[in-house]
Amino acid sequence: MKLALLGSLNWLAANQEEVNRLNVFPVPDGDTGTNMLLTLQSAVEDIKDSSASDVGRIARIAAHGSLMGARGNSGVILSQIFRGFAKAVEGKTELGPAEVAAAFEEAANAAYRAVLKPTEGTILTVARAAGRAATAAAAEPRATVTSVIKAASEGARRAVEKTPSQLQILRDAGVVDAGGFGLQVMLEGMLKSVEEPDAAQQGGEGLRAQPAVAQAALELPEEGWGYCTEFLIAGEGLDVDRIRSEIAALGDSVLVVGEPELVKVHVHTDDPPRVIGLAGSFGRLEKLNVGDMSTQHRRILEEAQPNGSGSPPAQRQRANNVGLAAVASGSGLVDIFKGLGVDAIVQGGQTMNPSTGDLVAAVDGLPYDEVILLPNNKNVVLAAQEVDKLAQKKVHLVETHTMPQGIAAVIAFNADKPAAANAQLMERAAQQVQTIEVTRAVRDSRSNGRRVKKGDVIAMVNDRLDTAGSDYAVVVADALQNLGPDKYELVTVYRGAEAGDAEVDALSASLHERFPTLEVEVQAGGQDHYPFIVSVE
Amino acid sequence: MVPLKVLFGQESFRDGVDLDGDQFFDRLRQASKLPTTSAPSPGDFAAVYERLAGDGEGVISIHIGGQLSGTVEAARVGAQAVEGLRVHVIDSRSTTMTIAFLCLVAAQSASLAEAVQRVEARIPKQRIIALLDTLRYIEMGGRISRAQAMIGTMLDLKPVLGVADGEIKALDRVRTRSRAIPRIIELLRDDYPLEHVAVMHAQAPEEAQRILEEIGPELKRDGVEVATGQIGAVLGTHTGPRALGFAYLTR
Repeated sequence: MKLALLGSLNWLAANQEEVNRLNVFPVPDGDTGTNMLLTLQSAVEDIKDSSASDVGRIARIAAHGSLMGARGNSGVILSQIFRGFAKAVEGKTELGPAEVAAAFEEAANAAYRAVLKPTEGTILTVARAAGRAATAAAAEPRATVTSVIKAASEGARRAVEKTPSQLQILRDAGVVDAGGFGLQVMLEGMLKSVEEPDAAQQGGEGLRAQPAVAQAALELPEEGWGYCTEFLIAGEGLDVDRIRSEIAALGDSVLVVGEPELVKVHVHTDDPPRVIGLAGSFGRLEKLNVGDMSTQHRRILEEAQPNGSGSPPAQRQRANNVGLAAVASGSGLVDIFKGLGVDAIVQGGQTMNPSTGDLVAAVDGLPYDEVILLPNNKNVVLAAQEVDKLAQKKVHLVETHTMPQGIAAVIAFNADKPAAANAQLMERAAQQVQTIEVTRAVRDSRSNGRRVKKGDVIAMVNDRLDTAGSDYAVVVADALQNLGPDKYELVTVYRGAEAGDAEVDALSASLHERFPTLEVEVQAGGQDHYPFIVSVE
Repeated sequence: MVPLKVLFGQESFRDGVDLDGDQFFDRLRQASKLPTTSAPSPGDFAAVYERLAGDGEGVISIHIGGQLSGTVEAARVGAQAVEGLRVHVIDSRSTTMTIAFLCLVAAQSASLAEAVQRVEARIPKQRIIALLDTLRYIEMGGRISRAQAMIGTMLDLKPVLGVADGEIKALDRVRTRSRAIPRIIELLRDDYPLEHVAVMHAQAPEEAQRILEEIGPELKRDGVEVATGQIGAVLGTHTGPRALGFAYLTR
């Protein structure tokens, strides 16, 4: 059991980027692979520290670890798969082919139960196909645990291939489902570890050799995170496209934007000196900033503790004894949430989804008996749904999908009303806000019946791709036009880290000109990846 | 009437005597530093009490709440300085037009004792709801903080404040003024039935008029005449321009 989990962790770590690339929207939030890996790592970490030797206990520890570490929607579903598996093998000291197959089936059932409206063509379908293939294989006369895992892995692969025929968005984007593929990779890794336990480093000596294997496995993702490297290139006649393609060869999460005189570069790379050397050949470098992302990750965990270093403890008790916790990223947006009275901010959002454990720590650190939690991102909602079960505090979730929804919700908070009444008020306020998120397409794709080329400016309206073009001002104004501006009165533009002054000015001028009756307010959001997030209300 | 004072730098003005609301807001627009306010001195009160001595069986002296201003303390000290006059100083625990309503109640009483008793019975029934265009002015005067109002410094939020039982409290915060106006009307209606009510405004007569037209008929049916009041210099120092709201007594 331990070897199998380590095998899947190893193999998922090796294929993390491939999973990340399977993103239905061409927006820079493809991190399903990272989310699943971090979730799995949290499951395995606890096993490593435990002396448990029977299968039932190991599975239970893994299930708990995965739940605390669950990040993103795929991570939360994965944690439910572990939960189902653990439930099926409870009390068992060893597993035969039939037990393994039954556990796979129960794992899929648990995953389906965790989702309000199960969608076929996702990790759920893949989990079910794996379970069914495993059951069929277990019924064969000479079935072994290995043959059952092999069948599950192949069943998963066939189901992944079929996902584009089940989901229009996958078909349009020309990809298979990322979460499903992640599960397939895990099962393949599991199969490798049981087929050739000796081949996996020094794994041949069984349990005694495992810490070494675990260490090797756990180091992989840290390398994968690398360094977040950012700078400006100043020069003349800079070729943005050429810079982008050359930088892209040296890392991932690449964002290169700008004009012939000034180009902003953001890249996650394992080799910052090489990136800097390359960039220096194009022009003069300014505002160079290299951050170690594993340190950033630790900082996220620290900041999640309101009483830890960094954030002062909340001093005031509110009359209603209700605290507020929110997920946010971007210095300006964080300041806005704090100014509006949010007691704990968990860093994260579009690309760095906080885990359930991070959220639980933030909630339990507050000096209130009840806490209202705002995920502010659709990829954080599922992890947030688990918090009430795990936290000591009573947690009320207001399912905000965007930062503007979160801000509207916080504004509706009333310190004299009880938590449940507030959650209702806040839910309603959040639904009255429309969100336009503006970024550049990270690759060619088709989405929502629209062809988008890599590098295009795209606007997502309430999480759906709405408008594409080449100019921020035009794309935002078009998206606003599609929303029907007559119904609204205020447009708040949260300016991202990548938005230049000229772009901001052009955008406000264009909005004033095309929608003279709308009030337009520009705020420093400071968010990454999205030069503009626009709230329409 | 014993006026409070508003100070622009070294220049001192008596509210409503030296400076009316319009003149005050004109000056405020041009001022490089925000004005401050001060309570009348005990001597100011003593002078008025001296003048009233011998006019009746005594004085009922009703003032801005002690948690909001030093006025009521000055009145008490001033009253002690006047010999041979019964002065009953009342801490209204409120401000602006609700004090006028308390005066009206006192004026309609048959004796000083009845006036005191009837006024005191109405003190817990006073309410103020105020929509401010910005928290800047009231924050400067130290009457409420941005943290208490849960209003940060970044978004242009419209604070809705209330005064009840002597304390200023944040009631709500609204993203735009046009949405805030229905909100304060809704808050007022939550407190129906009323005994007296005034629509107050600082340089926002059209909006005050529209509010009056909306709530006037329903209150008239209930036998309540709606007054309107302009926010003067001292209150305006704390609300800032474009404030709108209600001062009222619940029934």
